[in-house]
Amino acid sequence: MIDNTADDPRRRAPLVLGEHNFATVTDAVCNIVEAPAPPKAWYVALAVSVGLTGVLFACVGYLIMTGVGVWGLNVPVGWAFDITNFVFWVGIGHAGTLISAILFLFRQKWRTGINRFAEAMTIFAVVCAGLFPAIHVGRVWVAYWLFPLPNQMAIWPNFRSPLLWDVFAVSTYMTVSIMFWYMGMIPDLATLRDRATTRIRHVFYGIFSLGWRGSNRHWHRFDRAYLLLAALATPLVLSVHSVVSFDFAVSLLPGWHTTIFPPYFVAGAIFSGFAMVVTLMVPARAFFGLKDFVTLRHLDNMNKIILATGSMVAYAYGIELFIAWYSGNLFEKFAFANRAFGPYWWAYWTMMTCNVLVPQLFWFKKARTTPWIMLVLCALVNVGMWFERFVIIVTSLSRDFLPSSWGYFKPTAVDLLTMAGSFGLFFTLFLLFCRYLPMIAMAEVKSIMPKAGLDYGVHRGHGQYWGEIPHQHNQQAESAAGPTGTAV
Amino acid sequence: MKQAGKRYWRSLDELADSPELRRRVERESPSLASQIWTAASRRDFLKAMGASLALGSLTGCRWPKEKIVPYAHRPEGRVPGKPEQFATAMELAGVARALLVTSYDGRPLKVEGNPEHPESRGASDAYAQASVLELYDPDRSKDVVLRQNRQRIVQTWDQFDAFAKAAFSELRRRGGDGFSVLSEASSSPSLYDMRARLQQALPMMTWYEYEPVSRDNERLGTAMAFGRPCRAHPALDQADVILSLDSDLLMNSPVAVKHAMAFASRRRAEDFRMNRLYVVEPVVSVTGAMADHRCATPSRLVPRFACKLAGELTSDPALGTAADKAALAPLLQQTLPAMPPFFADIVRDLRENRGRSLVVAGPRQNPGVHALAAWLNHVLGNAGKTITYTAEVDPDRPAHVDAMRALVSEMKAGRVDTLLVLGGNPVYNAPADLEFAQQLDRVKTLIRVGLYEDETSLACDWHLPQAHFLESWGDARAYDGTISIVQPLIDPLYDGRTPIEILATALDEEPRRCYDIVRRTFGRLSSAADVEPAWRRALHDGLVEGTRFKPDVPMPLADALSKAIEGIEKEGGGSDASPIEVVFVQDHSVHDGRYANSGWLQEMPDPLTKLTWDNAAAVSPALAREQNLTEGDVVRISCDGTSIEAPVVLLPGQATGSIALPLGYGRRAAGRVGTGVGVDAYNLRPSTAMYTRRADLMKTGRRYPLAATQDHFIIDPVGHEERERRSRELIRELTLAEYKAGPRQLATESARKPRFSLWREHEYEGHRWAMAIDLSVCTGCSACVVACQAENNVPVVGKDQVKRGREMHWIRVDRYFSGDPDSPSISFQPLTCHHCEDAPCEQVCPVGATQHSHEGLNDMVYNRCVGTRYCSNNCPYKVRRFNWFNNLKRLSDFQKMQLNPEVTVRSRGVMEKCTFCVQRINLAKIAAKNDRRALVDGGITPACAQACPTGAIVFGDLNDAESRVAKLHASGRSYALLEELNIKPRTKYLARLRNPAERT
Repeated sequence: MIDNTADDPRRRAPLVLGEHNFATVTDAVCNIVEAPAPPKAWYVALAVSVGLTGVLFACVGYLIMTGVGVWGLNVPVGWAFDITNFVFWVGIGHAGTLISAILFLFRQKWRTGINRFAEAMTIFAVVCAGLFPAIHVGRVWVAYWLFPLPNQMAIWPNFRSPLLWDVFAVSTYMTVSIMFWYMGMIPDLATLRDRATTRIRHVFYGIFSLGWRGSNRHWHRFDRAYLLLAALATPLVLSVHSVVSFDFAVSLLPGWHTTIFPPYFVAGAIFSGFAMVVTLMVPARAFFGLKDFVTLRHLDNMNKIILATGSMVAYAYGIELFIAWYSGNLFEKFAFANRAFGPYWWAYWTMMTCNVLVPQLFWFKKARTTPWIMLVLCALVNVGMWFERFVIIVTSLSRDFLPSSWGYFKPTAVDLLTMAGSFGLFFTLFLLFCRYLPMIAMAEVKSIMPKAGLDYGVHRGHGQYWGEIPHQHNQQAESAAGPTGTAV
Repeated sequence: MKQAGKRYWRSLDELADSPELRRRVERESPSLASQIWTAASRRDFLKAMGASLALGSLTGCRWPKEKIVPYAHRPEGRVPGKPEQFATAMELAGVARALLVTSYDGRPLKVEGNPEHPESRGASDAYAQASVLELYDPDRSKDVVLRQNRQRIVQTWDQFDAFAKAAFSELRRRGGDGFSVLSEASSSPSLYDMRARLQQALPMMTWYEYEPVSRDNERLGTAMAFGRPCRAHPALDQADVILSLDSDLLMNSPVAVKHAMAFASRRRAEDFRMNRLYVVEPVVSVTGAMADHRCATPSRLVPRFACKLAGELTSDPALGTAADKAALAPLLQQTLPAMPPFFADIVRDLRENRGRSLVVAGPRQNPGVHALAAWLNHVLGNAGKTITYTAEVDPDRPAHVDAMRALVSEMKAGRVDTLLVLGGNPVYNAPADLEFAQQLDRVKTLIRVGLYEDETSLACDWHLPQAHFLESWGDARAYDGTISIVQPLIDPLYDGRTPIEILATALDEEPRRCYDIVRRTFGRLSSAADVEPAWRRALHDGLVEGTRFKPDVPMPLADALSKAIEGIEKEGGGSDASPIEVVFVQDHSVHDGRYANSGWLQEMPDPLTKLTWDNAAAVSPALAREQNLTEGDVVRISCDGTSIEAPVVLLPGQATGSIALPLGYGRRAAGRVGTGVGVDAYNLRPSTAMYTRRADLMKTGRRYPLAATQDHFIIDPVGHEERERRSRELIRELTLAEYKAGPRQLATESARKPRFSLWREHEYEGHRWAMAIDLSVCTGCSACVVACQAENNVPVVGKDQVKRGREMHWIRVDRYFSGDPDSPSISFQPLTCHHCEDAPCEQVCPVGATQHSHEGLNDMVYNRCVGTRYCSNNCPYKVRRFNWFNNLKRLSDFQKMQLNPEVTVRSRGVMEKCTFCVQRINLAKIAAKNDRRALVDGGITPACAQACPTGAIVFGDLNDAESRVAKLHASGRSYALLEELNIKPRTKYLARLRNPAERT
């Protein structure tokens, strides 16, 4: 096997390994969907996930029937697992958009191997995230009042409230993510339709491929739309988590009330999102035989992003501590002393270990390119990022201004089961995706293969984006290749 | 509970057929009677009843009516839904508290102190506030019960009457031989009258009176000093220097409300003058928390301290005679293990303030200490100035414990054949070493009248349901002797009778109805020529003028001092037997156990430990260190062969060797709320004193979860240190000297920095409601907490929920300790919603469910609330309360009758909080508008402020520059809590003033 992780400046590393042509790529991806029966392990995993999802719905049902008191919340800790899970899942969702939108705009071709997967993960994470704000309210049946719906009383929501901004931010994010994911999938769905051997598949993929014929005009429109959506989604990557962080930053609680929150939350979200992609990708690529498309180079690149964003998060932690001391605000100072040495010290140090120390191991190439090591490290990063939200939310609330009203939050069984259940929901959706939809963006991957009609020497194996106009490309290629280039 | 509800409505139907009612309708509207009883449809019945009541009301007197039924036709002058107020009185341990009860459509809902009464002036305590809950308690006994062969047989009153007729005619034949009555303390003239009549009819009967917690030591002590038992009336407003010897004047006294009021009048230092309070006590009391100097001294050393002080004082040639000096001389030689550092200050202050000082001894201290205190007051010239005495109505009554002892020995001797137990709960609260309960088997017939089918009822043959004071006629004397008439506000819900009526049954003579008996007594006592107007006036005012005891200044006997010393010596005043003692205290919530079934009182945090739903052995941090105890450890406390196991709570300020154990818990048959809550300290309590000489403490190794609303010791070092630092900022304190020195900057440094607002400021054209809370006079008594609960339909959530931090109180009283944990200074800070000008809650609510009103109130719109809890998270005072469950679902139909119709009942999932009693504001505004007048300052009082004995809470309109609240906001002592957050709270605190002695 070729080591495509080596950064030899003289030679561009191939992004698809193995002796693949267009047909084999199509086969490799479609066979997973078209196999008569999935592997047994898939059934086992699905059974566990669906079981957990059942637990989630049972817990939510119990919650709605009985009251929010079934969780361990109290006054002062009005939010705990609910909002922790919400922020955690929203954060997870960030990798997908970043890969599909920002990396697209920056012409990072390697994204094609992982973008479908990451976008799917985004949507499932946002589904899980969206659940929590909806069920955490005391009266679930009137939660729709958060939307600015016209009504006979002419009552509007309070536009000063960050929770309202949240509603807009998350629902916009959800909508754009689904559009982006679905639109990018249309050519691949058409492939599946064309290969369909059963009536059901034919109809199902037929409907969702929206009559795609692969004509030049289709591709052209598709191209423009994709670019526009990428441009639209890019600010969302930054805005969603900024707005989520406003929930905290806009309040006056020590430990919440800081201006650093928006960038710090965005970095943390990308950090946790990539960690989740790696966590899922490592077993998936092995299990479904996708190592040729999701190569070690892809993983290496993602781990580098994790290292970068992890360092940003570590910097943010440091700055928070520094400002707590430097500002001279005693409430702020105590909030941080309390995090580190108060009753929730264990949560704080779990967070510090997992989010600051663990990603630093990615300085080692061995860690970045050994699947089992990165799997462990990324899983730890996910744990750390969950605890980060827990620490921010719960430690700040539990000890605010008046010592007389200090409290302590202890999760109940319902808290823990609801959290576990949300993972069940996430994995259920993910497993269904693996089985029924193309996991790799076939059309995009083909465009970066040498066979994409771009078999120039220097560009061999690296390819160009398929959407570009050939004569432009030729000029570019010729000028880049210089006199020694051989055009075919 | 469902059954209970059905039964209530059924009783109306039963009522429709009662022969008595038939008689009355026939008498009052004969023309209707025939129609009613022939066509007895419910509708017709109600119509007819309404009409007949309306006719009855035309006479202008509603009192003689004993049946209450809904109206079909509205009587003139009565507006449905409009609250009415009636004066009545509540007797607690033989002392009346005069009350004014608000009634909505025939349902008494809210109890206040009677503003006309000198012992209340409108203020009240938590017990009075919670009495309405007791009225509607579905666990109160509903049936006449006969227990035979361990079987509970429900009987009717007729069956009991038949039994009583036979039994008492037999007793009359025997002259009452073998008949005894064991009654709880009562000051009711009518009951005295009935007792005298019974005594006449049954000359050989015996009458005993028992109360577990009483002021008998004061009676014995004053008898020692003056030759006859007296009632002491300290006047705290007259005293410049007060020394309390283990006396919790401000909380555990029958006139605590009056004392607190009088004390507070000298703490505001408006003329830069203040009284000074010294407290020497083994446990931490509310009075101790208010002290300027406090010394934790074990109970057994308090008498020694008193002797030492007396000796020191008489070294002044002007004080005491040579004989006194001689008597005290030997005691002077004694040394105290812990001499208060301020001893010299007390001596100097008492010497310098003769006639303006006061020494009071607490009910736990032995009679000798009381006698010594009486002597000291005399010598210091205080008698007649800061303290007066009145004669007791029943000077011959033996002490309660002696009465109980006598009864038990009679029972043991088999001389008690029939025992009638009126109220009380002796099986539960008699001293265990007397073995009262064990001797009950020797009594052939046991008849019990009680509010609940409690421990005593379970041991008796007959249990008769007693009527609650809010549903019965009666009379009672306040502490100063003033008689108040107890008038009912509702028909007995559970068909109870009063002890007076039971005695009438025993006498088998007319009149039988309580109303007639009380009226007869009134007629006899009244000096008025025409009794009827006087009676009406007494009912209206809630007190009978001119019935006060005559104040007296008795001269101490010549040998008062030597007797006092002898008394102290006899009780072993000087011995230092063991390093550990147990002190039994009357509980701040359940009193002696009688209020154990009151959810409001059980959930009211103890003023000092902040514990709910439990009693615990309070130990000092030093003792805890020594014995390696932490909060919640279960310890075995044993003394004299008996032992109990109780959880430990750490209470800074406890005397190191003293363990405080509140009485009244561990009830075995209190009802659904109170049964099994806490541990029964009566099992340990000896009959000799309210504390044990020695006790052993052993750690069991088990732990017991306690539900406190404010943690103190279960806290890490980081939090501990920060709390210490913050509490000094949150509770500002000034000494009198500092206050005199001129205006001081009370705001913290960060609060003084210039601030600007991001928002456009609100403008107020009409009112601008605000509150001021004076920390100098707040005693932490928590009457406001229960008053708010009663007014605002605040639910009770139970121990488990309190433990999770989900109590629902709209007002809480924060308690802070500062300084040395073994001798801390203690401060209280009541906290309600601050109704901030730039309220952080209003800004973050996504649906706008909490809004600023045009009068500056922070309104909560329950209908709009979706329950995100963001407002609570963003509230720096954490005064918002969330309905985690449907808290009112568990209420029975009876308890629902208590709900205030002016206040929305909150559903689950919505946030709630203090509204400044907006319903009262609006009622007052409507009334003012109807009368075309302006609102007057003080015309609106929120429930908390109304209950407050010391007037610490003041509410009013800031737009009225002359209002009290505006003046207090402008006072040199005012400060805003967390001012630096720039949220501009509407509540301001007045810094606490302390008046420590200047050290020379």
